[in-house]
Amino acid sequence: MAQDDLISFFTRQAEAMGAQVIPVDGVRDIGPQLVEVLKSYGRKVALVDSPVAREAGLEAALAAAGFHIEKDGAGFARQVDTGIVEFDYGIAETGTLAMDATGLKERLAAMLPLTCVALLRAGRIRANLSGVIDAYLERGNWPGYFTLVTGPSRTADIERSLTIGVHGPERLLIILVKDNGGDRLGR
Amino acid sequence: MAGKEFRRRIHRALNNASLRGALERFADAYIISREQVYAGRDFAALRERIAAIKAGAAGRYEELAEQFTRAVEARGGKVFRAKDAAAAREYIYRVAKEHGITDIVKSKSFASEEIHLNEFLQEHGITPHETDLAEWILQLMPGERPSHMVMPAIHLPKEEVARVFSRYLGEPVEPDIKNMVRIARRELRKKFLTAGMGISGANIAVAETGTIVICTNEGNARLATTVPPVHVAIVGYEKLVPELKDIVPILEALPRSGTGQPITSYVTMITGPVPAWLGEGEGIKELHVILLDNGRTRMAADPVFKEALQCIRCASCTNVCPVFQLVSGQVYGHIYSGGIGSILTAFFNSLEDAADPQSLCIGCRRCAEVCPAKINIPDLVLKLRERVVEKQGLSGGYRIALRGVVAKPELMHTLLRAASRLQGPVTCGRPFIRHLPLFFSSFTAGRSLPAIAGKPLRDRVKDLERPLSWPRLRAAFYSGCVIDFVYPEIGEAVYKVLGREGVQVTFPRGQACCGAPAIYAGDRETAVKLARQNIAALEGAGAEVIVTACPTCAVALKKDFPGLLAGDPAWEGRARAIAAKVKDFTELVYELTGGRQESPGSPAGNGEKQHPGELIPAGKQTVKVTYHDSCHFKRHLGLDRVAREVLKGRQGIELVEMRESDRCCGFGGSYSIKYPEISRPILERKLKNIMDSGAKLVAADCPGCVLQLRGGLDQLGSDVEVKHTAEILAASEE
Repeated sequence: MAQDDLISFFTRQAEAMGAQVIPVDGVRDIGPQLVEVLKSYGRKVALVDSPVAREAGLEAALAAAGFHIEKDGAGFARQVDTGIVEFDYGIAETGTLAMDATGLKERLAAMLPLTCVALLRAGRIRANLSGVIDAYLERGNWPGYFTLVTGPSRTADIERSLTIGVHGPERLLIILVKDNGGDRLGR
Repeated sequence: MAGKEFRRRIHRALNNASLRGALERFADAYIISREQVYAGRDFAALRERIAAIKAGAAGRYEELAEQFTRAVEARGGKVFRAKDAAAAREYIYRVAKEHGITDIVKSKSFASEEIHLNEFLQEHGITPHETDLAEWILQLMPGERPSHMVMPAIHLPKEEVARVFSRYLGEPVEPDIKNMVRIARRELRKKFLTAGMGISGANIAVAETGTIVICTNEGNARLATTVPPVHVAIVGYEKLVPELKDIVPILEALPRSGTGQPITSYVTMITGPVPAWLGEGEGIKELHVILLDNGRTRMAADPVFKEALQCIRCASCTNVCPVFQLVSGQVYGHIYSGGIGSILTAFFNSLEDAADPQSLCIGCRRCAEVCPAKINIPDLVLKLRERVVEKQGLSGGYRIALRGVVAKPELMHTLLRAASRLQGPVTCGRPFIRHLPLFFSSFTAGRSLPAIAGKPLRDRVKDLERPLSWPRLRAAFYSGCVIDFVYPEIGEAVYKVLGREGVQVTFPRGQACCGAPAIYAGDRETAVKLARQNIAALEGAGAEVIVTACPTCAVALKKDFPGLLAGDPAWEGRARAIAAKVKDFTELVYELTGGRQESPGSPAGNGEKQHPGELIPAGKQTVKVTYHDSCHFKRHLGLDRVAREVLKGRQGIELVEMRESDRCCGFGGSYSIKYPEISRPILERKLKNIMDSGAKLVAADCPGCVLQLRGGLDQLGSDVEVKHTAEILAASEE
């Protein structure tokens, strides 16, 4: 499948699974987009440092717009409204995000707040899980904590009624960055 | 017979409207979502792969466990091989005590329930907090049993959950699901952030990398394995697979078969210890993986039951089980429910504990059709039943019926003839027994029983057997007991239809019961005896084909006889030779007519010939016929399409499909006598589907189903008729 087809397939599947996909044309567009989108979800943000976050100058962009930004500390991500994390790969087949989440901050920021912003380079979308597993295996050491995320945290435990946000985020926003970076492996 | 407490549980479950309603709604929706989520996928190939991976792994747990251990240790984690539940509990307690841990957060784990961890920890002053929403709700309701393996609280209405939450918080809670989920988030978040240990299970464990894979929708496993400084994973040996790539097919099937989802919200793969917040700074957390045996290696060494270790715990077998849907996981009594649960219970607990749960299987084989690990659950349940009987003996009623009567054909036939003469008072001259007196009355509640025929087929055959000068084929008819003694007219129809096709049919006199009642009761001894007697009788007929019109008999002759006599040098070959000749009546008709759509004699393609008959009106009028798929006919013999083809082209028949045509009718042979309270609601659902189809006639290929369906429709006062395919063909060709 051509990368463009993978991107549109991924987008369709991710949205079917309850995520919101926000395509941006380049890293420079991420900051303004997030400022716009996040303002209704609260001003406290846990930001995990990553190549895309750095290239996008997210910290400065959000701070300038009045967001309070948390970057580490004992209570990291516990009290914030939104966590921003870069994911390594997307899986088109199921609309899934994949991440080497061995770092503690990645895990906390992606799980504790009610809103999770997932940054993903569009070139990093693979057709299926096997493709992503192969990509990590090529990098050598298998991650200590590898995670797949598809849509928000959900439960149907009471009367089978689908309810989101039970333990993890109730809102998963995928910022799909359509510029280069597709051929880079790892962070 | 089932124990008293077990019976009580069945009655409680059957009388719990909200439980039954919830399970029925779920199961109905499940069928559709499962179909959708597998659309366009090669399920057969997928389950072959999973079965191969898991069966291969079950053959070398020791090697894989060692490899897994080395991989985890190389990363700095610890692996403890727990021989049994006590060893696992003690280990966890020791770790908790070392760290002075008072509170533990748990994500859902069957293995932890199997070892009764929560009770043990509580007794030792440690508080475990279940964090899966359903598990937490149940934890707040002491004494409440999980009703389903994947959705344990599916039976609780939201009002009940609101009451539980109100009690927990000491303040009123409205039965608003969204709000209650928020409350759970708030309350459990506190536990996640303060607990000293997180306990998880695992869906898969990869030997080459030492990785454990956990799937959740809620994300509680991710929190339980991220926040607390110590992580203990309890992993049964059966979760081991050799390589990382082996997880792909399992992850493809597990959520699809489990809940009809393409993937769970979270799939977490943990390989060795990872960073965590340790009091004053970030450090590396402690990881303990407990590889739990508790009967698994004994199971892996068992040539028969090893297969059950292929299970990936999706619970799809219970989702399609007509019995489970009525009684729920609350009845099975141990951690693992349904047919697969009874097998696991036999090894993880004891054979005694599995005795009652296994008896609930009606043998419809739907589970075998959907199992993504390709486990032949119904056959394993029968093997288990044999072992229960070996150990505990047959119950009194079965012993008298099977060994005293069925195993002695002459006596049985004499008794049946006597019964035919003596049944007058209850049949009142009708072909049905509508009410039986006293404690027998449950046999006829919701279903009339057929009267025993005045003259069995074996006494009628001399009038039916007309020598043909140039027979196309020589066939021996194996009637089976129901056709012989209850519905000899089905046998007559078989003679008639096959005679028209130029088949010379004979009735080997020495034939006896096929032994299915013994096989399904776990009485191997009687089954073997009957197999030998029947083989000898059928060999004597010197026929090219052995025809049956009862799929249960066909399965006994084709599959069970060779199995029962395997390894017996005098009989094995003979059993196989007989088995190879067995053919179902409808299948034979299909082959003889070459799928041809009209009766013999008329030119091909000429549909104008009229077939006046008692059932099929002459002329252009057609009768609506709906086809009931008998379990053994469809799922053992695979003839569901053939039967429809045979019926479809007949003049005067309009075939209409009922809903759930391949759902069990609730007969199951002696099952309907053993568990009439379960058989009846299964029948009721079938009857409703029949009525809704608008058909005037139900066709079926199993005399047992005919018996059950006729009995049910008679009690409803319905004028819908039920006929064996043979009867319909005989009438349509007159």
